[in-house]
This record gives sequence, C-alpha cells and structure tokens, in this order.
Amino acid sequence: MHEMSIALEIARIAEEKLGDAASGLVGVAVEVGDSAGVEPSSLEFCLEAVFSTPPFAGAQPYIQRCGGDVLRVAWLEIEDGS
Amino acid sequence: MAVRTIEVRERVMSRNNEIAADVRSRLAAHDVTAFNLVSSPGSGKTTLLERTLAALGEDLGIAVMTGDVQTQNDADRLAAHTTRIVSAVVTNGACHLDALQVRSALDNVDLESTRILFIENVGNLVCPASWDLGEKEMIALFAVTEGEDKPLKYPKMFRNAKHVVMTKTDLLPHVPFDMDRAVANALSINPALGVFRVSATSGEGMEEWFDFLRTSARRVVAP
Repeated sequence: MHEMSIALEIARIAEEKLGDAASGLVGVAVEVGDSAGVEPSSLEFCLEAVFSTPPFAGAQPYIQRCGGDVLRVAWLEIEDGS
Repeated sequence: MAVRTIEVRERVMSRNNEIAADVRSRLAAHDVTAFNLVSSPGSGKTTLLERTLAALGEDLGIAVMTGDVQTQNDADRLAAHTTRIVSAVVTNGACHLDALQVRSALDNVDLESTRILFIENVGNLVCPASWDLGEKEMIALFAVTEGEDKPLKYPKMFRNAKHVVMTKTDLLPHVPFDMDRAVANALSINPALGVFRVSATSGEGMEEWFDFLRTSARRVVAP
C-alpha cells in the first residue's frame, strides 16, 4: 500500500543525484529485501508511473530481490546527451 | 548516445531516518519518551489513549499526536479527556505517518511540560512498520476480536514492536479467541515482546499498563 510513497522517495533520490540530467534517466535499479515490507511488483508498477512524469522521460525500473530488510537504490543509468 | 551507470547504493528510507534522528534528539533534549502506537483500524488505540489520558494525562504530562487519513475525529475525542495538547495530523490519503509529519507536528507540542508523547499512527498493520518516526519504541495493539494469526500475517510490525497490548479482553467470553495461541504467535515472531492484556472498557489490566508508563516517565527524568 505504501509502495507509491517509496517510489516517490526513489524519484527524489534520483532527482537529487541527477539534477538537470534527470530527463536522460533510462534505468533505475532498486534492491528489495524479502522482509523489507515492500511488494516488488507493486513497487515496479509505481516506479514506472513515477519515472514517466517530468523531469523524467520514461526510465525502466529493475527490481533486484535480496535477503533481509534491504531497501535501497543500487544504481541509475543515464543516457548522455552527446 | 552513451549510456553510463551511476552507482548510488543509497537506502530509500535514509532521508526519513535522518529526520527521525532529529526528532529523537529533540525529544531526548526535553526528556520526552515517545511511543508509536500501531494496529489495525478498530483495535482500540483511541479508546486506550482516552482512558490513559483521563487517568494519567496530567500526572505524567502526556501529549498525543494522532494520524488519520481523513478527519481529526480521534484528536477531538482525546481532547475531551485532557487539557493537554492533542495534535492532529491528517495524512490526506497516505497510509502511514512519516518522520517529516511528526517533526512538523512537534512544533505544536509544548515539550517542556511533556514527559510522554503518544503518536497514534494510522490504523494499518503494514505500512507504518517501515517508517521510523523518532519514537523510543513502537507498541502494537492486538484486539481479541481479530484473528490469533495476525502476528504471523503481519510479522514486520510485531518484529519491530517492543510491546504488544492485547485489547478488549472484556469481550473474551463472547468471541472464540484463543489468547494463549495469539500471544504464542506474537512471541514466535518476536520473543522479546512485552505483553499487556487490557480492557479499556472494564479497566481490567489497565493498572499494569499505567505502571509501565509511570516507569517510562520516571526513567527519562532520572539522571
């Protein structure tokens, strides 16, 4: 139920890291632990929605399952404008 | 077009946790013990707080912050029992309180005259488990009108809680609830869980709960 809040927080982290380059974001990897209290497919759905609205222009979410209560942004993939 | 990967390795909850740490240090600076009350909707959080405020509100300097998706009905109910501050947080659809909401609401609480702060979370056994609010401990309520397997269905909440309050025990003769099995289920998730059994309606078991609060309030003022 709280996956949208988490997706928005992930978007905030991405925006903070990328600044003006946010529109070039093409991939976001998120590590989700088995006991993180997050439903992976629901989070994926929310991430798709969040990352298709400005300043983003449609980035692909990658959910990486792992153990424990890990919940973190692993990496961001950006396309350089050049 | 070149694609490059930026390693981030940042915990999603890190900002919330930083704000929670700030809340925790503000509370500690004023010797305030904060409890985050969580449960399903209708488990009796507000009723437990009504009785607690009526009995100990003035003596222990209890302040309350209520979180609700809509309405400030809970805050209004509680305000009838105390002249102490009851602060309402309306989440406008969100299924949990977060540390930022608590930090903002803290501005409405006179911390100088407060020794115990109850944060009544949104009724929900899933989402609030993931948000640290800066409390000293999370306390889960579990009513005898629920299923005995609730701790097994919502393990994260019972794992994070330090105490569980079994509520509505006055209804035990009328419901097919197996108290021993319910408590065993809770302890199987978290063996360190402290257990209270109370009826806010009949008053049964409330003295033990009150003693816990008195001790909690004393502990912080001790040098």
